[in-house]
Amino acid sequence: MDFDVAPFTLRDTAETVTSWLFLIGTLGVLSLLISLLLSVARNGAAGIGIFSRGLLSFLEDVGSLSPRRILALTNLTLKEAIRRKALLVFAVFSVLLMFAGWFLTNSNERAELQVGIHVAFILQTISWLMLPVVFFLSCWALPEDIRIRSLHTVVTKPARRIEIVLGRMFGMSLVMLLLLVSMGLIGYVWIMRQLPTEATSQLTCRVPVFGRLLFVNRAGQPEEKGINVGDVWDFRSHIEGDTRARGVFMFDDIDESTLVLGTEFASDGSGTMQVPGLKFECQFEAFRTVKGSESSIIEGVQAQYTLSNNPREDAFSLFSRSETLRPLAEALRDAQFRTAANRLEELSAKIAADGEAVKINKSPELQPADYIILQLGTLYAAGVMGEREDAALEATIAAFQKATEIGVDLINMASASPDVDGKAEKLSGLHKALAQSLTELAAVLTQEADTLHEHLPKLEVILPSFHVAEFHEGGQQNIKFVPRTVRFSADAETQSRFLAGLFEKLNNANQLVEGDGLSSQLAAQLQSEGKISEQNSSLVVEVLTEQLASGALKVEGGKLAVADGQRWYQFFDSLIQKNLLISGDDEGWMMERDLINDLTTKGRLRVEVACLNNQMYLGMARPDLFIRKPDRAFMIGYTKAMASTALMMMLIIVLGVTVSCIVKGPVALFFTLTFFIVGQFFHGFMHEILIAPPDGGMGAIASAVMTAQHRAPGIGMDVSEATQRVVQGIDAVPRAMLWGFSQIVPDFRAFNAASGFVENGFDVPFAETLIPAFLICLGFLIPCVLIAGALLKFRELESK
Amino acid sequence: MSNDAVIEIRNLSKIYRDFWGRKKVQAVKSLSMDVKRGEVFGLLGPNGSGKTTTMKMLLGLLFPTSGEMTILGKPASDVSKNEKIGYLPEESYLYRFLNADETLDFYGRLFKMSSAERNRRADELIEMVGLGKARHRQLKEYSKGMTRRIGLAQALINNPDLVLLDEPTSGLDPIGTREMKDLILRLKSEGKTVVMCSHQLADVQDVCDRIAVLFQGELKVLGRVEDLLEVRNETQIRSSSLSDAAISDIREVLKKHNISDAVISRPRADLEELFLRTVRESGERPGRRFTTEEIAGKSGKSGGQA
Repeated sequence: MDFDVAPFTLRDTAETVTSWLFLIGTLGVLSLLISLLLSVARNGAAGIGIFSRGLLSFLEDVGSLSPRRILALTNLTLKEAIRRKALLVFAVFSVLLMFAGWFLTNSNERAELQVGIHVAFILQTISWLMLPVVFFLSCWALPEDIRIRSLHTVVTKPARRIEIVLGRMFGMSLVMLLLLVSMGLIGYVWIMRQLPTEATSQLTCRVPVFGRLLFVNRAGQPEEKGINVGDVWDFRSHIEGDTRARGVFMFDDIDESTLVLGTEFASDGSGTMQVPGLKFECQFEAFRTVKGSESSIIEGVQAQYTLSNNPREDAFSLFSRSETLRPLAEALRDAQFRTAANRLEELSAKIAADGEAVKINKSPELQPADYIILQLGTLYAAGVMGEREDAALEATIAAFQKATEIGVDLINMASASPDVDGKAEKLSGLHKALAQSLTELAAVLTQEADTLHEHLPKLEVILPSFHVAEFHEGGQQNIKFVPRTVRFSADAETQSRFLAGLFEKLNNANQLVEGDGLSSQLAAQLQSEGKISEQNSSLVVEVLTEQLASGALKVEGGKLAVADGQRWYQFFDSLIQKNLLISGDDEGWMMERDLINDLTTKGRLRVEVACLNNQMYLGMARPDLFIRKPDRAFMIGYTKAMASTALMMMLIIVLGVTVSCIVKGPVALFFTLTFFIVGQFFHGFMHEILIAPPDGGMGAIASAVMTAQHRAPGIGMDVSEATQRVVQGIDAVPRAMLWGFSQIVPDFRAFNAASGFVENGFDVPFAETLIPAFLICLGFLIPCVLIAGALLKFRELESK
Repeated sequence: MSNDAVIEIRNLSKIYRDFWGRKKVQAVKSLSMDVKRGEVFGLLGPNGSGKTTTMKMLLGLLFPTSGEMTILGKPASDVSKNEKIGYLPEESYLYRFLNADETLDFYGRLFKMSSAERNRRADELIEMVGLGKARHRQLKEYSKGMTRRIGLAQALINNPDLVLLDEPTSGLDPIGTREMKDLILRLKSEGKTVVMCSHQLADVQDVCDRIAVLFQGELKVLGRVEDLLEVRNETQIRSSSLSDAAISDIREVLKKHNISDAVISRPRADLEELFLRTVRESGERPGRRFTTEEIAGKSGKSGGQA
């Protein structure tokens, strides 16, 4: 199940406008045809002329709309509502607020829920009080004007009837806005004053950045889903504690604008200071397989974030979806490119053998799925490496791309019809070509191994663990601030890369060597340039002095060089592997990295979540971890929620006025209410019926036949094919009508989303809520005004 | 269309139908008539005779079943004709929550009138209909007579060329009625054309130049009021100086002589008598009557009675 609200995109706009134009066009043509037929039926051949004159007259009315007259009618509606005490609803609202405080104060001990309850109360109360006002106002005003003949004095002036419709709609909308703004302001003040002091800090609009969620299983292999711990509700997937299982959140578009100011302890111990950084907030769910004590429940489950920039994981993890390709994937991810080349050679041999097997119809060594994953994996690897725009990777990318192209041809040929001439021969040839391309790829990997190791660096920042707060008060505990300049304990790869980079820089600046030995200032340089602790700096100088003495390092032309031509990172890596750089410092090898520059690639940040407790599971879904951009003022979200309510009310007004142009008040109210209820509560149901597959979604006649035949749904009717077609044809008619109805009834659910965001303390995103709501409103406003104008124009106001 | 005809109606019929399109009643039957520029024209008839239906068709509130109408040279369905028309409905169907000033301002905004012009015109009209002291009271507080007055004011807000008045004196006291009639005559003197429906026959007789009498949707009588009320087959002699003996003599002499100072004229019936006779005769002998104008057309001279 997906709880995400879909954003409205430019592509949606194009599709929506096309669909809207199609619907409006169809409705317009149908209406014109029916009108023409009615006119001819009533007046004979003269009906065509009458129809044409009527149509021209209507178009002329539309073309000669007068803002002055519309404004006059808008003012009239506003005065009418005010003088007829429509604003009394405001008094009801005030009374409700006076007494609501008794019941809502301290209704929940959790501050964020207090906020939710208060905000929801205000938003819901305003909506429910406004609804009857707009229903009655919109459905009753015009019929009442016609009944008491006030409208006669208006239509006998030069006012076009479509102007009357617009004036009414705008006037009522103004009344509604007046009410909404007044109640909204009072509601805002009430929330501010009524909320307990400890909850007011929660009154904010969080701006979340959500990521994509993948999982890594306990064996370290990527998975789509985590473990299902037995919940019927499979919204959340779980990771097992104290294993290699991880929830992997991939965040996009992380940049300077995502940073917020947070409190951090000064490194010199001088207290706290405000620094920029990323704010993570989570709402994970714990699942325990052992009965814990009360204190352990209150303490919660221990979790840990790892921020990583791992291009090898991104580029090559797809291969591990295939059991056969998994060794290749692991070698690539671990930067063992020469080992990976060997795996590719083995793979190449198997594929070449499959090429021969195809000709003699022997079963292949690799399964079709392996070929598909191989093709997708090479494509993805080339894509991810290509994104880095690194010239050093071009040869490897080209080799991956070649394998991809041949893989596509092979898959296409394999899935082609057996009737294709010489299919086996062609398939065999493609197998050989693929095997050859993999051999070439292996050769490139061997040749470029060092370059790849250097240009696809992995950086992992393991953050301190924390306890996930679950049921108790402690939402703040789930908010973690990570300063932009993050200090962390480095792993071997990061350490060797860091030291290599630092030494290359100092070497280029001629700061490593003095005479034939190391610079006497080297330890101090390492501390100031590399921010390495005094103890670790001394250790490095000590080890390098030994290495220089042993001949592993040499001085050439005033610069320090590795004697056997190794690169610096390989040199430091070998030192680490030999345990020569084990820190005596309590903190180990602490380093600093920049969250934006070092840990993201093109704005993408990878956050791995681990559960540290044995026999416990941490459940998570995509929205359960998000990065908080700078919060917005509560007033902003509150105003957006009000705007969404206003759009809904406006749509009701548009519908009510339109219907009331042709029927009396009670009937108009019935119709408008029906539209609202169906649009609010049954739109999804209609959609479900319409998208149901033909077998599962039987029509009425087919269901009746199957009932008579005592046959279960999904089996089908026990009738001839011809009869089936007839029944399905008949059933298609109500289905088409339902489709038409579902297109005509506005989806009122689009107006509810905004308040949900505000109630839960989030900012209201425009693309997901207000833009769809506005477009729905506009999409109905235009045709409704035309329809209402036509209905009123061609209606006899004095008809007996 | 002749240049002096403000309203032209040709073969106008109106059939009211029910929801299913079945005929309920034919309110107007093949009506043809003209209203000339600058005259006060009265539409008479008993209840249900079709006069209000005709007026509402002229205003576009109802659509004719057949026939044609032009008002000020434009089809009745053309909204732009309303620029030069003023309409006072039978009841004053105004917005009761507005006061007199707001009412006139609202209706004025529906025309191309500047704010200053609207204010000036509103002041004039409120003064003219005598509502100066009540101009800031909401219409729901007005008496019926006051409502008719503000109704008339709104009908005149645009200084119209053609004024359609539905029962203009209904609900007015004798003084109000007198003022309304004076106003109608004033409008006429300003060159405006007035069409009025009324049951107040004396009022119609006082102000109308021409009248049409409808009965059951048919035009029964159409002509100038003075022609229609003339009794053509009788002679009346009046004198203030005749003794009984003289009268006796005159009767003798009249057989042989004319008396120079005696007033000799044809006696006039009143409109009420004409109206009742028309309705009675229409009941006894159904069918269309000739109008005085049709007779004049046939004989080549004006006057006469159907």
